[in-house]
Amino acid sequence: MLTGELVRPRLRQRGSTLTVEFVDTQSTHWQRTAAELIHLFAGQLHQPHSIWDTVLEQYEGERIDYVVIRGLAKVLEDAATFRPIDTAFPPVQMREHLLTYGPVFPTADLFNPQSRTDILSRLASELKVSVSDLEQAMFADRPSEYLLREVGLPWTAEGLLARYNMELARGVLYWASEMQVELHDNYKDFWRYLKLFKLMFEAAPVLKGGYQVHMDGPISPFVKSTTRYGRQFAAFLPALFLGKEWQMTAKVRRAPNEDALVYTLDQTSPLHSHFKQSGLFDSKLEEDFAQQFEEKFGEKRGQWLLRREDEVILMGDTVFIPDFSIIHKKDGRRALIEIIGFWHPDYLRRKVDKVRRAGLANLILLVYAGLNLTPDKLADVPSQVLYFPHKPVLKEVMAAVEAYAL
Amino acid sequence: MQNDTYHLSFQGGTLILKNARIDPPAPFQWIKAQWRCEAYHYPLLQDWLRNNHIRDTVPRWVHPHASLLDERAPHDYQREALTAWEKHERRGSIVLPTGAGKTFVAIHAMFRADCSTLVVAPTIDLLHQWYARLVNAFQIEIGVYYGGEKTIQPFTVTTYHSASDLIAEHGNAFKLIIFDEVHHLPAPSWGEAALMAPAPFRLGLTATYPEEHEQTDGRWRVNELIGPIVYTERIDDLVGNQLAEYRTERLRIDLTEVERQRYEADFQIYSAFFRSRDLRRTHGARWLMELNRLSAFDPDARRAFLARRRITELLSAAEGKYRALERLLREYSAEQTIIFAENKKSAYRIARQYLVPIITAETKAAERKVALDRFRAGQYKVLVTCEVLNEGVDVPEAKIAIVMGGTSGAREYIQRLGRVLRKVENRKAILFEILARKTIEAQQSSRRGRK
Repeated sequence: MLTGELVRPRLRQRGSTLTVEFVDTQSTHWQRTAAELIHLFAGQLHQPHSIWDTVLEQYEGERIDYVVIRGLAKVLEDAATFRPIDTAFPPVQMREHLLTYGPVFPTADLFNPQSRTDILSRLASELKVSVSDLEQAMFADRPSEYLLREVGLPWTAEGLLARYNMELARGVLYWASEMQVELHDNYKDFWRYLKLFKLMFEAAPVLKGGYQVHMDGPISPFVKSTTRYGRQFAAFLPALFLGKEWQMTAKVRRAPNEDALVYTLDQTSPLHSHFKQSGLFDSKLEEDFAQQFEEKFGEKRGQWLLRREDEVILMGDTVFIPDFSIIHKKDGRRALIEIIGFWHPDYLRRKVDKVRRAGLANLILLVYAGLNLTPDKLADVPSQVLYFPHKPVLKEVMAAVEAYAL
Repeated sequence: MQNDTYHLSFQGGTLILKNARIDPPAPFQWIKAQWRCEAYHYPLLQDWLRNNHIRDTVPRWVHPHASLLDERAPHDYQREALTAWEKHERRGSIVLPTGAGKTFVAIHAMFRADCSTLVVAPTIDLLHQWYARLVNAFQIEIGVYYGGEKTIQPFTVTTYHSASDLIAEHGNAFKLIIFDEVHHLPAPSWGEAALMAPAPFRLGLTATYPEEHEQTDGRWRVNELIGPIVYTERIDDLVGNQLAEYRTERLRIDLTEVERQRYEADFQIYSAFFRSRDLRRTHGARWLMELNRLSAFDPDARRAFLARRRITELLSAAEGKYRALERLLREYSAEQTIIFAENKKSAYRIARQYLVPIITAETKAAERKVALDRFRAGQYKVLVTCEVLNEGVDVPEAKIAIVMGGTSGAREYIQRLGRVLRKVENRKAILFEILARKTIEAQQSSRRGRK
């Protein structure tokens, strides 16, 4: 992610709203700049970081758009791998040994009978390395001496500019104290990334569908607009762009004593997520079930519609998102379906715990009979349980749907 | 099953009651479907937890059973301070003047409390100093947690800046927290650390306790987070006249012909811009920030900024300075010498060229301690550094200090020297200042000299 100083100069305030100035990914000026940087960076393979810093400084020259240049460079660096050279001895050890000889001078004199060269060659032969190895290893653990080992991504000029814009959009959130999101799809990934970045949330369904989610961290309610979760919001942001319909509003303070400004983004922002979208189906069982449903009841053939993960059961600090919702086309009755297939015991235990706490009467659990999940273990679960030996029997499922949909 | 029982746990600087069967008392609030409160209320909840048989999963602290290897006995006032703090359930601040051995008191407090302890220091320099003191006193591995290094041990040191991150993650691993220079605590982001920690034992150390009006600046009062002042000692002459006696010698070098040409060319660009804008008049001490800001859209400002940067680089790399440095190092090779380089690049160049130990912001705690210890013991004759050995830091005594030009402010300059140079056996310490003749740094230095 960008450093704050690379984001600040791109912030624009209008009234009480805050925006960030993106670069035009189609502009020939920026495309040329991006392409030149990609080329220069690729040429740095196996060179130390410090050389790249010099190359970059020379490239900047007297250009006044250096904030963008450094931002683009930072994106390149973050995706790349810099690693220290391998040395025969850890540089710290080497220094503790080597530096006991100092001060040494280029030429020997009465008080310093050994010159720098004398000492280095003696040490090199003691350690069975060359003098230049010794010189190189002396400070090899400094980050500026790390070598560029891998560029990381196959960048294109446009791709780099787009990613830079995403990093700018993220950077605004460094100074955010809270974040509010309304979303209408993408539930599974949204909550998956929320959990990954250790954010806290409070969610409520919206009348016209979807959810309103307020996000902050554990200490937020007790301290006045802390920005300590800003980096987590920023890290999380690309998860929103996996959705098709959403809006985000954040309160941002550029300085502790300034009034909070409003920063908003939605699906019309010209940005693309680089986060991985989870697959449409988590298992073959789910995929087969959906396919079978389509064959028998799809299009206009039945009374019911099948939707994938479109309802979120809010359970305090966590959520439960059943695999499918089945909705009656006319009266809108709903049943929820969760397939419990071939799972690891730990995961199974957590899932059953969750289902128990959810306490849903219109949830139909399709349980693989080979699991050690006997009816007595599900006795206190108010949901419906159907066992299946190989794959769920659609006819039985639909009978349960008819009976228990609400 | 553990998840089902009524229990108290620690999360991100807060305490959460899980599976509550009764409504908890005041500090708890119902937030996001959980009973939650700031972790610093932890000690006050003890009775209530016990009376209601609520399982407490918060503490992860241990008894390190470390032995104390410092044989110096505490002074009377130090012993009194400790007793007062212990009588006050190990909560509160001790106010002692500078030089009265606050660290020593803290080490004894840690030893006697025998529990996992976190020390919070205002700066990275002071963090390193604490690290060295704790390693020496306890001879066990000491945790260090800040930007450059992150390890957690039963005794760990951190900075105010990193403390809230550490505490959000590991707050319940420490039973005692020591806040060095506790007067910093009212600052909004720094107080968060104290608020987020469940530690029942707290010790504040300072020479200048914040006044009432300074406390209300943030959301919290120091008394509430740490406890009251338990001991105050104002021995004005404790510090004594420790200021070193030294003399200053200025070595003026000439730029080479090539350097001079480059210098004059860049100085032209830079001074022409300043004559036309006069940023010092319009922006006072913040003129450099303003120049930096302007340089993102005004090509003239950008050129002036770059010219200034090149001048600084040229002066710090001037050949004459290194020749002068080498002469001094040869001449005084038997004396303990500290070199202040102008920047990191120049410091590493000197370390490499003369094979002398170096301390910069990049140097990790263990290596830094070794370098300072060996320098103190005389095993290393020379130490090179750039800007880290600042205010309030225990820098070993030196006989010779060499300041390579530099553009740092007068205040910092004086402080650095006062701390480093000690008169040894009636021979005055010497400070050498190496400056390039007829340049901006020569002017700055003569401004200092007149004060």
